[in-house]
Amino acid sequence: MATGSHSRHPITQQAEDWFHRQGWSPFPFQRHTWEAFLDGKHGLLNAPTGSGKTYALWFPILLEYLRAHPEFRSQPKKGLKAIWITPLRALSQEIRQSAERITKDLDIPFEVGIRTGDTGTAERARQRKTMPDLLITTPESLHLLLATKGYARIFRDCHAVVVDEWHELLGTKRGVQMELGLSRLKTLCPALRIWGISATIGNLQQAREVLLGPGSEALSNSVLIRAHVPKRITVRSLLPERMDTFPWRGHLGLHMMESLVPIILESKTTLIFTNTRGQCEIWFQQFLARHPELAGEIAMHHGSIDKETRLWVEQAIRNESLKAVFCTSSLDLGVDFAPVETVIQIGGPKGVARFLQRAGRSGHRPGRESVIYFLPTHAIELVEAAALQQAVKLQAVEDRTPYLNSYDVLVQYLTTLAISDGFRPEEIYREVSQTFCYQALSRDQWEWLLNFLVLGSQSLQSYDEYRKVEVDEDGIFRVTNRGVAMRHRFQIGTIVGDAQLTVKYQQGGYIGTIEEYFISKLQPGDVFTFAGRNLEFIRIRDMVALVRKSAKKAGKTPSWMGGRLTLSSEMSRILREELYSAAMPEEQQAEEIRALRPLFDRQRLESIVPGPSQLLLETFQTQEGYHHIFYPFEGRFVHEAMASLLSYRVSLLTPITFSLAYNDYGFELLSDQELDVQMVLDNELFSPKFLLDDLQKSLNATEMARRKFRDIAVISGLVFTGYPNKGVKMKHLQSSSQLLFEVFRDYEPNNLLFRQAFTETFEHQLEEGRLRLALERIGRQEIVWKNCEKPTPFSFPIITDRLREKLSSEKLADRIKRMTRILTRGAR
Amino acid sequence: MLHTESIAGETLQMHPWGALYWEARNMLLLSDVHLGKVTHFRKFGAAVPLQALKRNFSRLQDLVETFRPQQICFLGDLFHSHMNREWAYFEAWAQACPSRLVLIEGNHDIISPLRYDALDIELVPELNAGPFTLTHHPDLREDGFNICGHIHPAVRLGGMGRQRLRLPCFFLKERQLILPAFGAFTGTHALNPQPGDRIFTLADGRVVPLDRTST
Repeated sequence: MATGSHSRHPITQQAEDWFHRQGWSPFPFQRHTWEAFLDGKHGLLNAPTGSGKTYALWFPILLEYLRAHPEFRSQPKKGLKAIWITPLRALSQEIRQSAERITKDLDIPFEVGIRTGDTGTAERARQRKTMPDLLITTPESLHLLLATKGYARIFRDCHAVVVDEWHELLGTKRGVQMELGLSRLKTLCPALRIWGISATIGNLQQAREVLLGPGSEALSNSVLIRAHVPKRITVRSLLPERMDTFPWRGHLGLHMMESLVPIILESKTTLIFTNTRGQCEIWFQQFLARHPELAGEIAMHHGSIDKETRLWVEQAIRNESLKAVFCTSSLDLGVDFAPVETVIQIGGPKGVARFLQRAGRSGHRPGRESVIYFLPTHAIELVEAAALQQAVKLQAVEDRTPYLNSYDVLVQYLTTLAISDGFRPEEIYREVSQTFCYQALSRDQWEWLLNFLVLGSQSLQSYDEYRKVEVDEDGIFRVTNRGVAMRHRFQIGTIVGDAQLTVKYQQGGYIGTIEEYFISKLQPGDVFTFAGRNLEFIRIRDMVALVRKSAKKAGKTPSWMGGRLTLSSEMSRILREELYSAAMPEEQQAEEIRALRPLFDRQRLESIVPGPSQLLLETFQTQEGYHHIFYPFEGRFVHEAMASLLSYRVSLLTPITFSLAYNDYGFELLSDQELDVQMVLDNELFSPKFLLDDLQKSLNATEMARRKFRDIAVISGLVFTGYPNKGVKMKHLQSSSQLLFEVFRDYEPNNLLFRQAFTETFEHQLEEGRLRLALERIGRQEIVWKNCEKPTPFSFPIITDRLREKLSSEKLADRIKRMTRILTRGAR
Repeated sequence: MLHTESIAGETLQMHPWGALYWEARNMLLLSDVHLGKVTHFRKFGAAVPLQALKRNFSRLQDLVETFRPQQICFLGDLFHSHMNREWAYFEAWAQACPSRLVLIEGNHDIISPLRYDALDIELVPELNAGPFTLTHHPDLREDGFNICGHIHPAVRLGGMGRQRLRLPCFFLKERQLILPAFGAFTGTHALNPQPGDRIFTLADGRVVPLDRTST
């Protein structure tokens, strides 16, 4: 182990001394990171939240500067020296505090600045004139700097960039945006060192490659450092007392509320994670109603609550003045809360990495055990609980799959460069093609994109007034139109969500933000629960929902659409094995599986609990139509693709219309006609032959690509989302991206952005290999078809899922004739 | 394929592109063409495919050749925006068109009347023809029958197996007929039919009336 005295870099003694003054001792990973950085290396640091990762990197960044500029105190030089990127602006204060602690103690006269969406215009202007020495910012704000005239000068003396929480960015388009930003910085800052910090994910090596660029000099001169902070994690499932009243589906889990009480009372502070903000709201309300004695000692924290309240809650956790906090992923990252002793997860976390990260929120003191309780919200989640125990033991964490060929983000980036100083295609192509995302970008595709930007098509057309990027006489691509530039600045960023409305009291007073989707379903006078209050909806004015306090009982709670994660193939395998154990003797089963006995008995009444050599197919009829449910137990993404593939193949054999639903256990083809199951079995519809081709065609028949296109249209600037607080409402945007999708389909099907919607639908999330393996496994299984009278326990969560896809091979006129009713507004 | 319907004592034919033909007067009615919208978007940096604007003109041309109408009446929102070069296409089409052209002004029609005048297009706030009052906005008066546009009507249907459809339509009330939007790249607005309303959906080249009982 390197210590201060053995260090290759004597200057690290300053860091050692600083640690000793705090009464601490640096972790080995911190020392390794100091050494590697001072050796001139790039790298990825794999360290969990709260492990002291900020000190692992702020120190060498500062020491490196001291070493290179011994005269810095007598002759200080203004300007940017290092950039720290964080995915959440809420974390920037913490990062600044840790940096300032060092600069103050080591007497380094550096200004530490923050530049995010929250930064006011005056501060921005001041920064433009004199950049802080150390800048904490987000990927979007970094791109906004690249949209500033003369940006090259800003970055000239920057020698380090740290991308914090890289695992959160990787696998998203913000990650792609980061790759592009880094590709530019590499050229602008000759001395740049690039470091990422990531929690544990399945593909850490790839995470490093994406950060530094495949085959790059930076990558070959880089290290991966693992923190190895030892941590024992214990998972405990909370089992329902009576299985017969335990629901087959449902996502709130309130019936188990009382089992939380002893846990909360016994520990100093408990964090209770829910999967959606809506769930968080309801739990908080109901818990308070049933336990008024805890009022004042429990709180709520989620992303829609206003910043002041959130900061207050965070501070209260640190002061140990709260017994319990109901929260969402808003407390997944950053902020170190030492007093948290216990963590409870309500409902499936749908991800081992996330579950581990949440578990790690408790028992922060090194060497202490982390305990996480899992509260299942419905029966099948007990299987998941058993599988999670296994997965935690095996550390079976998921990959975060990086995007490839995201043309939309590239179009946005090129426009960004065009509005500041303009760009030379040759130079930028060289940089871009060295990133992971665009490593396979061909010359043709590049030319296509340039044409798209300049001509709005692939050839010059008469009467055309397309106006965006122009090529000046020196061959530099520029935006000269001020309107184009202004609109683009508002649109920089890649996170597309439902539009957010501000919620305010009519008398004034900000409460939080809420999805337009929810508000649009409310009538004036409706009472809903929000931010722990009962509010009466009055009306919408501009982008503000006006409300007043209400004593009435709330009828509705916002159902925020939480991101739907899916199981990794490893986790799916573990889940299958837990389920197969239902057939084993009780003493070999996990307690969760034993507890499920009554459910398995009920399932076996009309159907079976499949074993490893069986693929179960259940059919039954309800008022809704004919249900056909398959259970491959392969995880949601595989089922999504399989449902699309199978329904497409059936639709070739007979004109039929399907509504598709899927979860981690299986998928449903619902139709108004009964499917000839024998036909499915006889025609080898699960064959892996022609897989890719059929999958592509099935996409054309469903609407999946349409939904993807919405984001692509926004990111690439095909649709303008409006000026802040007064612009186009999301509804408007949605309909125009729908219209755009149709005109591209009809008139420009080879448009790369249009094609991207199709490749993204499956390719990003699902490696084709995984689907192929699943189909091959099915090929070796016996298909057990059970024609049932009633829905079975296994089928219940699937058939009640409302998020559906459709596919049809029938003529529109024939479908219209069989429709039974006209839908009116408000009805679903 | 046309659908024929007797309305206010007159025989009217609905075309699956959303046009209405009144044979007795040899008159073609079209609403909400929104010419210029594609170019408007392009002018503001959104690269909507140029080909999309050509559909409007090729369909207009087809209809003229099919019906050889003596008169074409646009029920408003003919041109989507301020002047842009798509006007040149329209000019060329209008000059070659043998039919008499009338435009009932809609809220989007902000192009100078002089330009319509130069093309010999009659510009009116509304038009009375036989039993009908033709307007852009729906305008139900004490008596008479109103034919209008503006709404871009559509209907949403549901069926067994959680099926859902949303289709543009002709929307017929007791004394009013709302025409669907004719233009490409225009969008629709779903209406809630009341008892007695009748709906004629546009479905892949056919006009499919909905069963009276289903409303």
